[in-house]
Amino acid sequence: MLLEASGVVQTFGQLRAVDSADLTVAKGEIVGLIGPNGAGKSTFFNALAGDRPPDDGRILFEGHDITHEGPEQHARRGIARTFQVPLTFEDMTVAENVLVGAFLRHSHRTAAEAVTRDVLEFTGLAPMADRRAGMLGTPGRKRLEIARALATEPRLLLLDEALAGLTPAEVQVAIGLVRRLHVRGITLVIVEHIMEVILTLAERAVVFHQGRVIAAGPPRAVVNDPAVVAAYLGHRMSRQIQQ
Amino acid sequence: MGAIYALFSSGLTLIWGMMNVINFAHGDFVMLAMYVAFFAWTLGHQGPLVSIPLAAALLALLGVVVYLGLIRSVMRGPMLAQILATFGLALLLRYAAFWAFSANFVALPDNLVGGTLQLAGLRLQEPRVLAGVVALALTLGLHLMLTRTMLGARMLAVAEDRAAAMLVGIRPDPMQALTWGLGAASTGIAGGLIALFYYISPTVGESLTLIGFVVVALGGFGSVPGALLAGLLIGVVESLSAYWFGPVYQDAVVYALFLLVLWVRPQGLLGTV
Amino acid sequence: MKRLWWLLPLVLVVLVWPLLAGDAFYQRIGALVVLAAISASAWNLIGGYAGQVSVGHAIFFGAGAYAALAVYTHLGWPPIAGVPLGIAVSLILAVLIGTPTFRLRGHYFSMATIAAAELIRLLAANWAWIGAAIGLMGPAAPRTLADLTFRSPLPYYYIFLGVLALLLSLTAAMERSRMGYYLRAINGGERAARSLGVPVLRYKLFALMLSATFTSVAGSLYAVMVGFADPDSTLGILISVKMIIVAALGGAGTLFGPLIGAVLLIPLEEWTNAAFGGSGTGVTYVVYGAIILLITRFEPGGLLHLASRIRGRPRAA
Repeated sequence: MLLEASGVVQTFGQLRAVDSADLTVAKGEIVGLIGPNGAGKSTFFNALAGDRPPDDGRILFEGHDITHEGPEQHARRGIARTFQVPLTFEDMTVAENVLVGAFLRHSHRTAAEAVTRDVLEFTGLAPMADRRAGMLGTPGRKRLEIARALATEPRLLLLDEALAGLTPAEVQVAIGLVRRLHVRGITLVIVEHIMEVILTLAERAVVFHQGRVIAAGPPRAVVNDPAVVAAYLGHRMSRQIQQ
Repeated sequence: MGAIYALFSSGLTLIWGMMNVINFAHGDFVMLAMYVAFFAWTLGHQGPLVSIPLAAALLALLGVVVYLGLIRSVMRGPMLAQILATFGLALLLRYAAFWAFSANFVALPDNLVGGTLQLAGLRLQEPRVLAGVVALALTLGLHLMLTRTMLGARMLAVAEDRAAAMLVGIRPDPMQALTWGLGAASTGIAGGLIALFYYISPTVGESLTLIGFVVVALGGFGSVPGALLAGLLIGVVESLSAYWFGPVYQDAVVYALFLLVLWVRPQGLLGTV
Repeated sequence: MKRLWWLLPLVLVVLVWPLLAGDAFYQRIGALVVLAAISASAWNLIGGYAGQVSVGHAIFFGAGAYAALAVYTHLGWPPIAGVPLGIAVSLILAVLIGTPTFRLRGHYFSMATIAAAELIRLLAANWAWIGAAIGLMGPAAPRTLADLTFRSPLPYYYIFLGVLALLLSLTAAMERSRMGYYLRAINGGERAARSLGVPVLRYKLFALMLSATFTSVAGSLYAVMVGFADPDSTLGILISVKMIIVAALGGAGTLFGPLIGAVLLIPLEEWTNAAFGGSGTGVTYVVYGAIILLITRFEPGGLLHLASRIRGRPRAA
């Protein structure tokens, strides 16, 4: 087991955003976290990423307890993430953005630059290497974030709605990139609310609703699960559909 | 005095909470208002009943102008620009005042509003009491407006989540301009009030701005009731330290308190970081 | 190295012009320009590259100035020997201010620096050991060469130039190293930087300490040349502001920005002071304020950024 989260709880005041959620991720898997908006998947995701330690529960990575460790330590352990709204370094070039990531494992510039070149090639960003990140459109920025995270040489990559807001054509390109990441041996946890993407990419889907995990398993099975349908459409509507 | 701190600080906390912009020129706004009051008296023989609303209106106008002309374009930019912008404004206002009004202190006549009261063994000066009461009332009024009225709700919505507010149909721009206008108006009123019993000089802006920061930090950024509480607290602390340590150190104590607050409880008493 | 061919004649000019100018007036301005460039470049490390805007850097400057004159006044040593003391005090202050505030959002740090600066100025103005409001003075006449008390500004110019060269080379090296990229990443977005493993707190502190060190040195150099330090001239908010505006005008976060800012602003300051007589200082700061407003409104990247925009080249390291 690469990643094991058990009993994760996150409360904001009175609201239990995440209510005792569990997740296991094996090495080499692609796991999708889905659920309607406000279901708690992003909050759970941020707990996994180290952004916000959970109020209760445990998260183990490669056997180590990382529940209360911050993002910097996560990165050093080999967990990288992207952000729902891309947080690229706007005033730095594409190459420089990636370089920052590369410096994690290589303190000398020459070595870091070599890694950067590799990553730029791999993600198809090489032609734009010297362009200011701020000048890229959303799909470019999302790809840059992935490249940047990749430069930290992670074993686990957490993608937060990396495909949201892309046109169908762009989605296809992005899916291709994610598949190549997988082939390279990186374990992936993807948060999405576009069903299509999960069906195409994920080996296993975990469905969140109101802070709890209500279903888990192969995407096709999960999608047809009545509880899941009810969650997305509301109980009344799903009863109507079933009738 | 604490109530007055609360008043103009609530303007500051409003701007800060709303838009993440710290107005380094806030104290200098107050300074300008004080001069407005002064000139209203010396040139137009108008007492506080006219000069205070006048100051409020003029400063509100200034606030909106500053927002439209400067802040709007600076808000999305690098942190350096944001901080520098209002700082540059402060410099400009302060030294333009130096140039225009010279560094000499001026003051309004003492007896403009009543004399001294004897209250429960303490000698209070009527102008201060009046100013304090007005300031208190207005601060509470501001809080009520924000929390009870539709307009206030809209402003708070923009403050909390600009994108979401836009989705619901609230246009953030006018709301933010309004915030600046209100914030500036609060300095206008505060300035007019302070002018009643304090000396007026271009240097006043600097320490008032810092006091504003302390109040806002102590009370919690974005919280008007916090500013009220903190303002009163700081006012008391200041008077006490003037009494114990002498007037020279009174400012120093306030600044030290500020640093202490930052060390220990950055979100202040009633705010969230 | 190819790109820098224009540097050579420039360096020559910089080295030679004071000898040609002859007049002590111009030489003194030259020395002040270089001094301002040192302080602004030091500020640039934390304020420009890392984006943590300190509005109270005067405390480091003042620490350096007072340390130099204090060792002279109380121990009889040549003022320059006070440099390590100034640095030590500045480092302590840097850690005290930075540690709590760097964990929080940027604004807190800025406000803390202002408050700290004002607090220290008030305390200094009342501390007899360093002369309270009157301040301290340096040697009136040189006892040995180490006193560095010269009649002509010329030696100061070259000494300062040496220090500036050192600082700029250090900054250039840093720019290309991991630290440079990490600082710029912090400036570009802390949350993202953290997710990439950047130890944000550590780097911010380190940048501040480095900045404080050189600012303190600048302060000591100032005290050595001017021979006098008091709370207003070394700890006042205008000292802090001057550093920022000099750096920002030329381009905060660039190597030569502060130097360019110094070359433009210091002569301007001297001129407005002279031209407007008694109320001179007031007008100077009105001009400063106006300049700051213009920069922040239209070109926050400073003149260097404006120049590269005009030339159509994106800023690259």
